[in-house]
Amino acid sequence: MNAVLEDPPETTGHPLAGAAMSGADVVVQVLADEGVEVVFGYSGGAILPVYDAVFRYNHEHPKADGAEPLPLIVPANEQGAGFMAQGYARASGRVGVALVTSGPGATNTVTPVRDAMADSIPIVVLCGQVPTGAIGTDAFQEAPISNIMAACAKHVFLVTDADRLEATLRTAFEIARTGRPGPVVVDIPKDIQNAELRFRGSGTLPLPGYRARLRAIDTATLDAARCAAFFDALGRARRPLIYAGGGVIAGDAAGALRDFARAFAMPVTTTLMGLGAVDTTEPLSLQMLGMHGTAFANYAVEDCDFLIAVGARFDDRVAGVPQAFAGGARYIAHFDVDPAEIDKVKRADWHHLGNLARALDTLRIYGLQHGFRPREQDRYAPWHAHLAALKRTHAMNYDRASAQIQPYAVIEAINAITRGRAIISTGVGQHQMWAAQYFDFREPRLWLTSGSMGTMGFGLPAAIGAQFARRDLPVIDIDGDASIRMNLGELETVTTYGLPIKVVVLNNAGDGMVRQWQKLFFKGRFSATDKSLHKKDFVRAAQADGFEWARRLADPAELPAVIAEFVAFDGPAFLEVVIDPDAGVYPMVGPGMTYAQMITGDFIASRQAQPAAVEAGPSEMF
Amino acid sequence: MRRIIAILLQNEAGALVRVAGLFSARGYNIDSLTVAATHDPAISRLTLVTSGDDAVIDQIVKQSRKLIDVLEIADLSRSDHLESELLIVKIGLAGLAAAEFDACMRRHPAACVVDQGAGSRVVQFSGTGRDVNAFFAELSNLAPVLELARSGTAAVGRGDVVLTPRT
Ligand SMILES: Cc1ncc(C[n+]2csc(CCOP(=O)(O)OP(=O)(O)O)c2C)c(N)n1
Ligand SMILES: [Mg+2]
Repeated sequence: MNAVLEDPPETTGHPLAGAAMSGADVVVQVLADEGVEVVFGYSGGAILPVYDAVFRYNHEHPKADGAEPLPLIVPANEQGAGFMAQGYARASGRVGVALVTSGPGATNTVTPVRDAMADSIPIVVLCGQVPTGAIGTDAFQEAPISNIMAACAKHVFLVTDADRLEATLRTAFEIARTGRPGPVVVDIPKDIQNAELRFRGSGTLPLPGYRARLRAIDTATLDAARCAAFFDALGRARRPLIYAGGGVIAGDAAGALRDFARAFAMPVTTTLMGLGAVDTTEPLSLQMLGMHGTAFANYAVEDCDFLIAVGARFDDRVAGVPQAFAGGARYIAHFDVDPAEIDKVKRADWHHLGNLARALDTLRIYGLQHGFRPREQDRYAPWHAHLAALKRTHAMNYDRASAQIQPYAVIEAINAITRGRAIISTGVGQHQMWAAQYFDFREPRLWLTSGSMGTMGFGLPAAIGAQFARRDLPVIDIDGDASIRMNLGELETVTTYGLPIKVVVLNNAGDGMVRQWQKLFFKGRFSATDKSLHKKDFVRAAQADGFEWARRLADPAELPAVIAEFVAFDGPAFLEVVIDPDAGVYPMVGPGMTYAQMITGDFIASRQAQPAAVEAGPSEMF
Repeated sequence: MRRIIAILLQNEAGALVRVAGLFSARGYNIDSLTVAATHDPAISRLTLVTSGDDAVIDQIVKQSRKLIDVLEIADLSRSDHLESELLIVKIGLAGLAAAEFDACMRRHPAACVVDQGAGSRVVQFSGTGRDVNAFFAELSNLAPVLELARSGTAAVGRGDVVLTPRT
């Protein structure tokens, strides 16, 4: 179908409308028009024309301060570029861009593309491809990217008609950022990059189905009857609880959620992806729920009688046993922008599909106008008292008397300085969960973690991308000794670009999280997860990559001073902390288990009898 | 339960792969799949026969509707509909019970012989899946089957309801 929306060049109002450009120049011009301010990528044969066009664009359009308008940030590996684009997107809410070559360059981005899909992160990945005439001939560095990425991305375009290139690029950004955001891949054969084109300056591809569905969600409102039904049910509840997910962050609805929760004095727990949706230091925040949620959040889920899910999807890390999840809730209300999430896992008694912030505002105003004032009436006083007691009795805690450095103490020490006002990225494993549990999160977009895919190696490149989005904030990567190895090459990227990123490696000599599962489910046979005999000297590795400040912390007595110096260092800094290798992540709701079966470890009080020694067989659940 | 899903799809490169890929990635089975351009060459129509309980079908429809190229999707089996499949069978003449074969063809007005060779005939039949099965069972008793080609189901809703792309 060739029906690109036709705008006669002279009417688009773009100063370059009608200008002759190569396909590569069109790519760069659309990036500039989309407000892209940094591109993460690695060059190669099939994308050379675009790299050349970026070079020329930067040379011809210096910013007032002489800086390049479209700096190219070169990673060690294209996976790094994809995660940098993600880090940028997660921290800013804008679309992150990666630019890679065909074949291996493109396949190296499969993991970050899938990861972005799983966490609904808007990125656009532009890949070079062999010339159209060579597609399908097993050409040098050819890979079927549109097939591979179709299974992973929100959408993929293979541009085979140069006349559609400009509209395709613009459409890619539109798809990435609209609706439930996600990654879009544009595969651009080299002859298309070299085609002689006339720039239009506007126009997108027709997407009648997608846009009609978007419009329906965007314009959906809550009428009085639906509001009344909501408050009718809420009016009968005594123990309401808000369960907020990453959709609140992605939908820029944190403000509306906070207003709603405050207006009705409602407690809030968030998913891993929802951290920062509310200020976790507030009394009515219960922090994270789920597999490694706080005990008090999980008990609150058990005890609530009305659950309000906002931009959350009852995934298996939260609702391992859907029937049992929030078993005491007589009513479940669900807000989302994705129709497929409604009733997917757990039936909602009431739901709304539409803009989250607008819906929450509408409901709040409706409730207040119709005399729903639980705060003034102290309606939830017993519930609040119950939650406060849960928070006191089942507070997060650990072995504070241990002779070994406890990872929780490291996070607490950093948090005492940053106080919820730094960007925190992580790898995947125990350190990720400890960071989620022990840091404060006061604002959205300060917490960057691979939630759904759980991709080791995410932390360092995501931190790099985030620093480009937020020059004004400290960026700290809390990483694991195994996770950081995955993209260790990006240490050098930090120093190459002089980014003042702080990298912490919580070294427990191996794959701690996997060992925790092996302890629980495989009788302690640590198959392939022990790295205590490995030779890596992290500090020397960091120094070799140009980190001037690189230290190893092994003495608990030095912890406060070293952390203070590390965080305060003006420039890239690397800190390896030798932690207790047996430190575990608690609480834990095992895979396929209910919250009632939560184990809390030795230092967090449980309200259930704890299983003496968990000697579960290999779990069928993942 | 057997369900017939109709999908109107923008006729884009890779669109069919994305639908089929979604089904396999999410573990939905495809019993049959028929696809061709519609009277509007920019739009293809897919008819997919699958099975599952209400919750599964609800997810299939909702997840498919998220594909960018999908214009409209409907579960035709929710209401009264018409469906048809095409069967083309090549039978051998050696061993053919000629009189019974002629009688069989007369009993099935939807069947016709579309080609005749020295040692074979090609019979074509269209009807619902059940009709096709019944006809084929009869035919295969009368003649040796040399080759069989069968299309998936094509279906439309009964009456004046029309599945049109949203604009
Ligand atoms: C790319 C990738 N491979 C494998 C895994 C499985 N996995 C999950 S956590 C983990 C161990 C991570 O070890 P480390 O980064 O040192 O973190 P720790 O749990 O020790 O804090 C592994 C192997 C994964 N999540 N991602
Ligand atoms: Mg480790």
